[in-house]
Order: sequence, then C-alpha cells, then structure tokens
Amino acid sequence: MPMFRRIQVSLVAATAVIAGLATPALAQSGCELKIGSMGPMSGGGAQWGLAMDGAARMAAAEVNAEGGLKVGDRKCHVTVVAYDSKYTADGAAAGSNALAAEGIHFIIGPVGAPEATGIKPILGRNQQIAWNGSYAKDAVTTRYPLMFHLGPGPGGWADSVIKEALKHWKIQSVALIAPNDQGGTDIVTVDEVAYKDNGVKTTSEYYQRGTTNFAPIITRVLATNPDAVDTASSPPGDAGVIVKQLRLAGFKGPIGRNGGPGTEEILRVSGGMDVLKDFYWYAGPPDTPEARVIDADYKKLLGKDQTFGASLWGDLPGARMTLKAISVAGTIDDVQKVAEVLRHLPVDDPNLGKGVWSGQKQFGIAQELMYPFGVGIIKDGKEVGVTRVEPKL
Amino acid sequence: MHQFLEAAIIGVGLGAQYALLALGFTLIFGILGVVNFAHGGFYMLGGYVAYTCVAGLGLAYPLAVVVAMLATAALGWLFELLLIEPLIDDHLATLMLSLGLYLIISTVVLAIFGPISMEFAFPVTGSFHAGSVYLPRENLIVLAVCLVAIACLWLVLFRTDLGRALRALADDRAVGMAQGLRPRLLFPLAFALATGLAGLTGALVTPILSLAPGVGEPVLATSFLTVILGGLGSLGGAALAAFIVGLVEAYTSVYFGGSIGALVLFVMVLLLLVFRPTGLLGRDVRGA
Repeated sequence: MPMFRRIQVSLVAATAVIAGLATPALAQSGCELKIGSMGPMSGGGAQWGLAMDGAARMAAAEVNAEGGLKVGDRKCHVTVVAYDSKYTADGAAAGSNALAAEGIHFIIGPVGAPEATGIKPILGRNQQIAWNGSYAKDAVTTRYPLMFHLGPGPGGWADSVIKEALKHWKIQSVALIAPNDQGGTDIVTVDEVAYKDNGVKTTSEYYQRGTTNFAPIITRVLATNPDAVDTASSPPGDAGVIVKQLRLAGFKGPIGRNGGPGTEEILRVSGGMDVLKDFYWYAGPPDTPEARVIDADYKKLLGKDQTFGASLWGDLPGARMTLKAISVAGTIDDVQKVAEVLRHLPVDDPNLGKGVWSGQKQFGIAQELMYPFGVGIIKDGKEVGVTRVEPKL
Repeated sequence: MHQFLEAAIIGVGLGAQYALLALGFTLIFGILGVVNFAHGGFYMLGGYVAYTCVAGLGLAYPLAVVVAMLATAALGWLFELLLIEPLIDDHLATLMLSLGLYLIISTVVLAIFGPISMEFAFPVTGSFHAGSVYLPRENLIVLAVCLVAIACLWLVLFRTDLGRALRALADDRAVGMAQGLRPRLLFPLAFALATGLAGLTGALVTPILSLAPGVGEPVLATSFLTVILGGLGSLGGAALAAFIVGLVEAYTSVYFGGSIGALVLFVMVLLLLVFRPTGLLGRDVRGA
C-alpha cells in the first residue's frame, strides 16, 4: 500500500474511533424524545383531539420542568408532534406512518373508533404504542397488544348514566342519534343494551358524517314520540345543532349524551342552558379540587388556560404513564419492553387518584385505564351537579 | 300527514339555501368557465365575518350580514382580478388556484378562531306551531332573505345592462368582446357577485346551524351536486335543482333516515349523468 494511501486509511480509521467514542457523550447531552399526539384537531370532534394533544404536551412539560425524562443514565427533553387524523381510519393510519417517519414510537391518541380501527393493524409494523380514547367495541384486543385504551368506554359507564337519569326523569323510551360509521354504531349498540337492561325502549337513527342540518332527521325521530333523545357519540358540534333543532321542533323531554364529554361545546352551539334545559351526560373524571390542580398546572407549564374540560383530565394519565414506563424501562427505542413495563405499572394518578387496569372482561385484555368517573345532570336549565361513580372490574 | 308537511317546509328551506350557493357556483362556471373550489370557503368566511362583526365589533346582525356579503364579494373580486384573470383560459390552473384559496381561507380561519364551534346565535328564535307542524322563525327569515336575493340576482342578470353583458360573454366571449364588452372588467364583477352570494348564505345560515372551520366542505359538495343536476352553467337549472335537492333530501331523510337521504341524492345525480349528461337544463357546449 503506498504511503499516501496508508495515511488516508489511518486518518479515516482514527476519525471513526473518535466519532465512536464521542457518540455516547453527545447522545447523553442531547437526548430528545419525540412523542406523538393524534386525534381530530379540526371539525366537529376537534375538542377531543385537542384535549389529547393538550394531555401529551402537559405530560411532556411536567417532565421537562424536572430537567427532562430520566431514561437510563440520560435526561431526555420531551417534545410533542401533533397529527390531525380527522376522526377517520385512513387519517389515523397515515398519521401513524407520518409519526413513524419522524422516529416516534409513542402516540397519545387517537380519539375515535374509526381512527382506532385504522391505526391498530400498523402499530406492530411501526413499533408504536398508542392510546385510543374511543368507545369502539374492540378498542383493545389481544391481536394488537401495542394498543392501550383510555377508558372507560360505554360498557363501563352507560348503565350508571342511565340509572342516574332515571332518578330525575321518567323515561320509558329513548331515541338515539349518532353518525352511521363505527364511531356511532359501536356506541349506540352498547347504549341500546344498557337502556334495555334498565327497562327503556330504544329506537336508533343514524346520519352521514358531514350532515349540517338535522331538521329532517329530527322530524323522523320525533315521529316515534320518545320520552328522551340521546345524542350518543355525535361530535359535540353536531350534538349542539341537534339539541337546538330538537328544542325548536318543540321537544321538551330530557336530552342525553351517552357518548364522549363535550357539554361546553354543546352548550355554546345550542344556545345555552335555557335551550339545553334538561340534560344528562357521561362527564368523564369527576370535578374535584385535585383534578382542578391539573388546570392550574397546565396554565403554569404551558402558559395558557386549558379549554378542553374533563377530556384533558381523562387523557392525561395515559400520557403520564407512558413517560413513566419509558423511564422505568430505561429505553426510548425498545417498544416491546416499554409496553411490558406499562402493563404492570400501578394505576394511581396524582390528580385522579387510584384506578384499575380493566378490559379483561370486555376485551379479553386488561389494557384499559379506568378511573372514577362522573355523571352530570342539568335540570330546568340549572346544573344539578356531577355524581361520582367508582370504577369496577 | 304532519310529517309530509314538515318535510315540505324543511325541503323548501334547504332548497332556498342551496339555490343561493348553487347560483353563485354556476354563475362563475357559466360566465368564466371556472370551477370554483373555494366556494365553500367563501360561505365559511361569510359566517366568520358576520360573527366578528356581531361578537367583536358589536354591530347589529342585519348590518353584519351586509358587511359579510360585501367583504366576501370584495375578496372574490380581488382574487379574480389578480390571480384568476391572467390564467382564465387555463382550466386546470384556475381549478388549482381556487382549491389553494380554499385551503388558505380554512387555515387562516383555523389560526385566528381555533378549531371549535363559535357561539353565534340567530337574533330571532322560537317557532310557529300548528298542531304537530312547526316552522322555526329563523328559518322563515332566512328563507325570505334567500328568495329576495334570488329575485335580485334574476333582476340583475335579466333586466340590466350588466346582466346582459355577462350573459353575452357566457354565450360567446369572442363575439361579446367584438361588440365592445370588456371581460377584464366584467369577469371580476361576476366573480364578486357569486362569492358575495356565498358569503351572504354563510352569514345567514351559520347562526342557525353551526360555525366552525370545515363548514365549507359539505357546502361545496352540495353546490357541486346541485349544479351538476341542474346543468353546469345553467342559472335556471341550478335554481330548479336546488329545490329538488332540498326536497329530496328532506323527504328521503324523514321517511328513510339520514343515511339513505344522502345516498339517494348521489344515486339521482348518477342516473342523470347516465341518461342526461348535460343535466336538467344544461347546454351541450359552453360558448365562453
């Protein structure tokens, strides 16, 4: 080998050795953990998607305020990348791929049943853990073990909501209104069973997502002369229009929401308490002083008020537990190891209190977080309050 | 029986709203030969301008509606003059430009107002009831304004020199120009007229339904469906089709449910395209 060539090879080798030695030090000082947030961040269900994003950002801000997330001997700065999956299966699948392209293995979201259906099959391929907040009948399954569920779903609370409503109103029949996709039909099916178990007759009416004027559907619904109408999992924006048009049509009975939270937006769109009048709903985590600390901390950490209500409270434990599992597992790359740690973490949130890993009975896999939840009642245009219900397996 | 009457009332109300939107959409295609994908964006913008006037500036709602109509007309005029006009004969370019404008409008609205629905209520509430049949007062007012606007548009197009000039350009631009008509002056006016109608509809309808980013998308779909049914470029066809669409939507939804209602409309358009591709009152060839 000529002299010049030997010198060249030696220089390259020396550079490689120096680079190899320097890499851990660089990684240690510049560790960045990107996590994803996903859900509908525009349109009728935006409040839910933005709550999911807010939860991810708050959990990240909490650990960053402590100097970063401890992973092995490193402290990692956590950043959040948001993806608007638009409440669709293809949106969530595309979101999973887009986040994977950025090296993201942990997703707080998606929100809806169609999104959960779209993302589940590709989580394994993309090596990602996701937390869906959907009310799908198969929100988690043994087939897709990297999917976790921010519970409870309607199977966990519909019975309690209906029982509470029956204490305030005489309801012998109910008409349920929901979108005609999986985000509507899955929930209505569960709600129907819960109503029937409580002796209430049901009729169901589905609409095409994107419907803006519900007047014809309301005419059809009112022809069945129901005692109550339940907006089920209709997005809050749609539910607000439904409430407004029901009242304009002269419907005076109670209106229920055995679906996701969103009462603030329903109030805003429908025209306020005087229009809403009599209303019962699944309120998510109960409004307690401890839960309200989340709002104060959110403002302190992120510099603005949280406007997502109890949705953020319900999503936050999933984000916190994911970061905790990463820290305990000591890796940001070995997703299987993080998932295994996550499954065995105790369910005890600093703000929401003790909960349980549920889901074994309904889904065959205990990957559903369940905390105490509330059932809200508005009667004669006045908020009666939110009744606390303890989680049960 | 009350369901039948109720469906008719709802259908006519929907038809009038669809007519205002479809007339604007078809006006732009008929005169300029441009498929305006930003039409739903102007509807949404009309709603947000009216909301800002009422909630932010404290204007009375009727004045806010007028401001919304003028603002969307002004934006439409500028858009046509500055961006569409230089590329007026390139159909693909104008289509992409209008699609781009819709995305810009949506993003700006999202950035300024956020993704959630606004608290924007119609100033008149309540319903007239006759037995089981009801008629919301707000719908009655919107219907009346829509019908007046349609009548005004008809007067402008068929009883004024401006209307004659616009229709002449739509029939045959080359001959119209040879007669001294100036497309560079008239096309932006036609565009402004159409986008002003979309803005007016948005300002009228969003308070009785909801106002959020994305409300323009179903509007564009309905407008497109209506003008295809009526015949692209045909003003009479668009008005007729709008009321047919409104009534079909109302009756099918009332009697067969919301899912079937949406399906029937698309099947109807599909069948029409097979058996009468020019639409109900469309022509074979556009002159412009």
